[in-house]
Amino acid sequence: MKLKKGIALLLALVVLVCTLAACGGKKDTENSDLDTENSNLDTENSDLAYIKDKGTLVIGITDYAPMNYKEKGSTEWTGFDTEYARLVAEKLGVKAEFIVIEWDNKYTELDSKAIDCAWNGMTITEESKLNASVTNPYVKNAQVVVMAKDKLDAYPTAESMKDLQFAVENGSAGAKAAEEAGFTKVTKVADQSATLMEVSSGAADACIIDITMANAMTGEGTSYANYGYKLELTSEEYGIACRKGSDLTEEINKITAELMQDGTMDKLAEKYQLTLIK
Amino acid sequence: MFWSVTVSLLEGFGKTLELFLLTLLFALPLGLVFSFGSMSRFRPLKWLVRALIWVIRGTPLMLQLIVIYYGPGLIGSQVAALGSQNPFLQWLGTWSVMDRFVAALIAFVINYACYFSEIYRGGIESISKGQYEAGQVLGMTKTQVFFRVVLLQVVKRIVPPMSNEIITLVKDTSLARIIAVYEVIWAGQAFIKSDGLLWPLFYTGAFYLVFVGLLSLLFGRIEKKLDYFRG
Repeated sequence: MKLKKGIALLLALVVLVCTLAACGGKKDTENSDLDTENSNLDTENSDLAYIKDKGTLVIGITDYAPMNYKEKGSTEWTGFDTEYARLVAEKLGVKAEFIVIEWDNKYTELDSKAIDCAWNGMTITEESKLNASVTNPYVKNAQVVVMAKDKLDAYPTAESMKDLQFAVENGSAGAKAAEEAGFTKVTKVADQSATLMEVSSGAADACIIDITMANAMTGEGTSYANYGYKLELTSEEYGIACRKGSDLTEEINKITAELMQDGTMDKLAEKYQLTLIK
Repeated sequence: MFWSVTVSLLEGFGKTLELFLLTLLFALPLGLVFSFGSMSRFRPLKWLVRALIWVIRGTPLMLQLIVIYYGPGLIGSQVAALGSQNPFLQWLGTWSVMDRFVAALIAFVINYACYFSEIYRGGIESISKGQYEAGQVLGMTKTQVFFRVVLLQVVKRIVPPMSNEIITLVKDTSLARIIAVYEVIWAGQAFIKSDGLLWPLFYTGAFYLVFVGLLSLLFGRIEKKLDYFRG
């Protein structure tokens, strides 16, 4: 009987350890060589110091031409935001590390320090300002209505589209544009690429997506060769999201101002056909 | 194009397989531990394990993935911001996110161990009490009866429900994409955004089909092998 209780206790311990291991992570070793108390306090207060200390700027992105994408056959990231981020990281004296994330989770990724900034053609909204510290706008964007090319002429205005079935990305600027335009038949799906799938499968008549995305994903050589856009619903601005309360935001603003002044940004914008906000 | 898509999907499917195999490797024995726990006569242990099984089976795996990956990092940065001198809180403040794959593996192992444990329990409890009594009459200890008489019969009985659960696991690995573990669905979806191509996403189905087909053959063979062992 005693032995059995011993085994039972052992099992209880195993269960406990498993549960704890699940919560605890395994980073204790990393912090074993903590600096002195004081410098530790400093890094706690300054996100910038934390990033400089670890030597990498971890940037959350999605595969999204022309901001962050890979050329065919290449394994290296390229694009407007990629080059821009590398320039900023260089000035910060750290290495830029790009990681593809589930875009819906960007604020959780930031708060849990899994990434240091979300930098991927992010539209500045009230929501993004609420959940993150957002830099000054750097590029202008628009929301466009994409539909089959042969239907474009029949729907020249937002008013004429009122009865159409729309697809938008849940929580996106496109979803907001649909609301503001007074469209009532709107399906919200997981991401912008899924909105195009809705349209091409016939589940929706049109979708509302970023103009940059529409340029990259519709027309010749894509699965959406027969789709296009004419109407711009709203225009908006792109910014970079840093952790809430981070001092990295101001630093990026400062560096960006320098890059705007010496013409580096103009060259980048020309290369990727984007409109800068100065 | 077809070739490069295949290569890229194979890469993603490698991750899927890795997650699948490692989950099985850890969840199969851990499930047995859980099932002993849930059948224990030591009440606190029994209730602890049953509560764990209730929580794990009662919440979506997708939520568990998010909690296990982001949870430690969120707790760490929140507590560190308090700047407390309490040693325990300071320790909590050092928590940070772990590797994405490791987090996914932990979530899958715990989740599947809970499901497996209930299948094991069903199998073990289905063996008639008479067999234990007969064993005892023959002078065997309870442990001897379990390993020499009961276990093989249990294995035979649980093969069909286990194969069901294992096949579900193959497809559940696709949930890991929520914390950006780049498995095969992720690899397929990447082509939608980068090249505007739809078919790679549907093509991923072929990989699952082939693999599950192989698994089904394997389970059929195992069932046949255990056939001489009529319960």
